[in-house]
Amino acid sequence: MVIQEDRVNCRRVLAGSLFAVLCSLSCVLLATADARQSVGGVSDVDFHKAFGSKTAPITMEVFSDFQCPACKSFYNGTNRQLMDNYVSTGKIFLIHRDFPLPVHAYSRVAARYGRAAAEIGKFEPVEQVLFQNQEKWEQTGDVDGTVAGVLSANEMAKVRALVKGGTLDTAIDRDQALGQGYHVNQTPTSIIHFKGQTYPVAGVITYDILKQFLDQLLSQK
Amino acid sequence: MMQSSPFNFRRAVIWVGRLVLGGIFIYAGYAKLTMGMHPHPPLGVALSFFALQVDSYQILPSWGVKFVANTLPFAEVGLGLLLLIGWRFRIWATLVSLIMLGFFAAVVRSYAMGLQINCGCFANPEPLTIKTVFRDGLLAALAVVMTIFAFMEARKPHPWATPEKASS
Repeated sequence: MVIQEDRVNCRRVLAGSLFAVLCSLSCVLLATADARQSVGGVSDVDFHKAFGSKTAPITMEVFSDFQCPACKSFYNGTNRQLMDNYVSTGKIFLIHRDFPLPVHAYSRVAARYGRAAAEIGKFEPVEQVLFQNQEKWEQTGDVDGTVAGVLSANEMAKVRALVKGGTLDTAIDRDQALGQGYHVNQTPTSIIHFKGQTYPVAGVITYDILKQFLDQLLSQK
Repeated sequence: MMQSSPFNFRRAVIWVGRLVLGGIFIYAGYAKLTMGMHPHPPLGVALSFFALQVDSYQILPSWGVKFVANTLPFAEVGLGLLLLIGWRFRIWATLVSLIMLGFFAAVVRSYAMGLQINCGCFANPEPLTIKTVFRDGLLAALAVVMTIFAFMEARKPHPWATPEKASS
């Protein structure tokens, strides 16, 4: 009788321990997943296409299309100064989001190459070359040749393999779905997050005017 | 007698204009200053956020954008109140008409250029569409008609004035 009770107790202890271990494991996995995907209240962050400190007070998502002239204007006029003065100084965590518009014939192709380059850690040079040569490749559709100009043969082979792999569209679609969640219907659109508030700004913004807004936000600290 | 009745067509249009435009101006100015958020953000944040909307029209240089962003919301609230109160009505009605025509011109230009931006009219981000163009056109037309009618009515004796006073 006593032996039977001991066995039952032993089973209960084992089952309890197993449950506790499983719970802890799930918690650890969930916490790891959150840390990987969520920054500053923004979910689904692809760190290959994000810049700056994760602990920056401002998080900014830029929904962009490589073939959109306004995005080129934003990139050349505002984005670079933003990177130098706010992202590299730890004030902004900048996330690039793909939002290829269906009116542009090669937007999605360019987005695939951009994302593939991001996965091998070469997003910045590829983004730059795509915007700087936008008028050329949008005439010919030669996105591959444009990207090849800034990558080594080995890197280009990896990028081509990723593009051919056909898995990048899922990530691009996920960015677009996120944009639709913010009612994005144009590019560039910037979504600025600060202290739980969301500030959407559509269109090209002058750096000087954006700086004024960012400084106002940062002065609230 | 019918001409000087307080209920003629022109006066009805003036009253509708005062109520509609006055209400919209107060709401638009208030919405820009508070961004429709609870709790309200600091004024500096609201004005600099509105500056981003003004800037996206790509019409004004930076100093012009800052000037418009820092003055327009207050001017809208003030003008809206003055329209409703009716003090020095023709002066403020003229100013409101000019502002409305300015808005309309900016909206038409941006729409024609294919700029896909937010209107910046109120607190919520509202894409600039053909609906915005029509709405601003109607409001601008109402402001102009209201102002013209106000000047026309001012030339006539006040409907409630006694005949002796009116004739003197």
